[in-house]
Amino acid sequence: MKFLDHLEEWLITFLIGTATVVTFVAVVHRYASGLAIPGLQDWLLSINLSWAQELTIILFVWMAKFGAAYGVRTGIHVGVDVLINRLSPQRRAKLILLGLLAGALFTGIVATLGGRFVWENGAHYAIFKLAGLSLDDVLEGPTTPDLEWPTWIVYSAIPLGSSLMCFRFLQVALGFWRTGELPHHDHGHVDGLEDAGPGAEFDGYALEDNLHPHDLRSAGAAQTGARADDGGRAK
Amino acid sequence: MNAAVIFGLLLALMLTGMPISISLGLTVLTFLFTMTQVPLESVALKLFTGIEKFEIMAIPFFIVAGNFLTHGGVARRMIHFASSMVGHWYGGLGLAGVLACALFAAVSGSSPATVVAIGAILLPAMTKAGFPNKFGAGVITTSGALGILIPPSICMVMYSVATNTSVGALFMAGVIPGIALAGVLGGVTWWRAKSNDYPRQPKASFGERVKAFRDSAWGLFLIVLIMGGIYTGIFTPTEAAAMSAVYAFVVAVFVYKDMSLKDVPKVLLNSANMSAMLLYIITNAVLFSFIMTSENIPQALSEWMLGHGLGMVAFLLAVNVILLLAGNFMEPSSIVLIFAPILFPVAVKLGIDPVHFGIIMVVNMEVGMCHPPVGLNLYVASGITKMGITELTVAVWPWLLSMLGFLIVVTYWPALTIWLPKTLGMM
Repeated sequence: MKFLDHLEEWLITFLIGTATVVTFVAVVHRYASGLAIPGLQDWLLSINLSWAQELTIILFVWMAKFGAAYGVRTGIHVGVDVLINRLSPQRRAKLILLGLLAGALFTGIVATLGGRFVWENGAHYAIFKLAGLSLDDVLEGPTTPDLEWPTWIVYSAIPLGSSLMCFRFLQVALGFWRTGELPHHDHGHVDGLEDAGPGAEFDGYALEDNLHPHDLRSAGAAQTGARADDGGRAK
Repeated sequence: MNAAVIFGLLLALMLTGMPISISLGLTVLTFLFTMTQVPLESVALKLFTGIEKFEIMAIPFFIVAGNFLTHGGVARRMIHFASSMVGHWYGGLGLAGVLACALFAAVSGSSPATVVAIGAILLPAMTKAGFPNKFGAGVITTSGALGILIPPSICMVMYSVATNTSVGALFMAGVIPGIALAGVLGGVTWWRAKSNDYPRQPKASFGERVKAFRDSAWGLFLIVLIMGGIYTGIFTPTEAAAMSAVYAFVVAVFVYKDMSLKDVPKVLLNSANMSAMLLYIITNAVLFSFIMTSENIPQALSEWMLGHGLGMVAFLLAVNVILLLAGNFMEPSSIVLIFAPILFPVAVKLGIDPVHFGIIMVVNMEVGMCHPPVGLNLYVASGITKMGITELTVAVWPWLLSMLGFLIVVTYWPALTIWLPKTLGMM
């Protein structure tokens, strides 16, 4: 489980970092190849970076799908919680569980739909071909315009990411059922304020705002125990 | 009929407190499975292509750029610069707070983080100088919201995604209202400070000002890079965002040395977390606006409006009321993504400029960030100042009221927003 957590974090960090570098390099390349420097210009012109935009989009789609799953674990997904935060803890707990299970249901359905789409758009062909099975009536899937990668590989982010997200919803639901605690995200986190005085020591993970459901701990308990349950940061 | 069911279901799901993205998605799925003959395949395709636009990718890039510069060190430089410029006027530190918030919010892109960074450093200094607690809290809470009006603004990118309006024109249109609103908040601060005779700072010498400016200029150049790059056509908005992300990384790690290279993965992970959450709402909001269009809801709404003889003035008033109410339940990005596709076609039909309409929405969002029950700025400020939410809400009133006044001006005076992009030939 720890391994999966780290893999997820490592993957989305890598994806967003790579996308930034790719776009940056493509822009620099576009202008640098316009400079009339002998040798360098010819070399730059020989490199074709027209695929950069497509690659950036693919990297970000993958980042978005797996990052959304990571977001369930860090409690970043915002909701309308004005109403349920006014209910008694027992009723609120029921609705929070319902919400988490609804999340699992939705991501589960999307994963199934996405899986079917990917299967019919080339995965079927590719896997059967690889396994040497019969390919009657099975069409080869399309490829992307610039990179010419099979689209089914690109789109498999949907079933994979959604399945992981479904799993995370179930995981958080189970944790909530057992302990009454939800992961919190600190929307106002700023580094480098350590010496700024008493105000900076407040716990952003325990804000009683209404964009997230309040879990079943009292505000006091939340102040002391909140950092420990934020798996994403408290490594 | 279908429209009522769709909205009823969405509202019911949202009120159970589940994530907004999930409520949108489940509404769409229910609609597809029970109420329509639209083939599932065409929707499956939408599911994949929902965020496959290069324009949308500006959002994660801007978040990365902002997160690199969301640091106490940057906040300190901005405060130093601001107080060297305006500190000697009435309410000096308060005015410096408005200016520092405007600058830091524009660069960091996050309103709550602005309140934390500027508030944590400036509020103790203000208390020490003799300002009452609630004065400082009011200034910082409201000024922290300036960030979504001053470019680069993620909220504006969201609007442009939802309505296909030019990001560059929106950014340019935000400049004058952004400066004007900072002026309004500063004016209220000055007036309250003058009538209560709050302390002033000693006037900074010219040399001190130059030095403070040089220190903060590296961070502020981010705005120039983005706006200049987009305006001159060197970059597309998304490319400008990517360049600013790399620039912010270089400034944070090598120029300011606020963070070391080993902090970089953490910044990237946090940015990915926030971006993915927003992109996930976008995916589902795109699906939702797809079913709205297929049900002709915006058209029906505009026909109803025109049929009842309701013109632009009444419509804009209604828009403001709806958005302010929505601001009681949701955070800005979700409001823009859900309401823009519904209201935008009506606005266009009534002859309202798309860019102007976008700025109206954004100013509305700012107001929503500063009052309960969901205004994050307020909750963060309450955490820093240890003031209760009720007490803080009262403290914020003078600034919030002037913000509402400003909203009316922006709504009914289009020239304020669209003059600059028009003059620059961007629209």
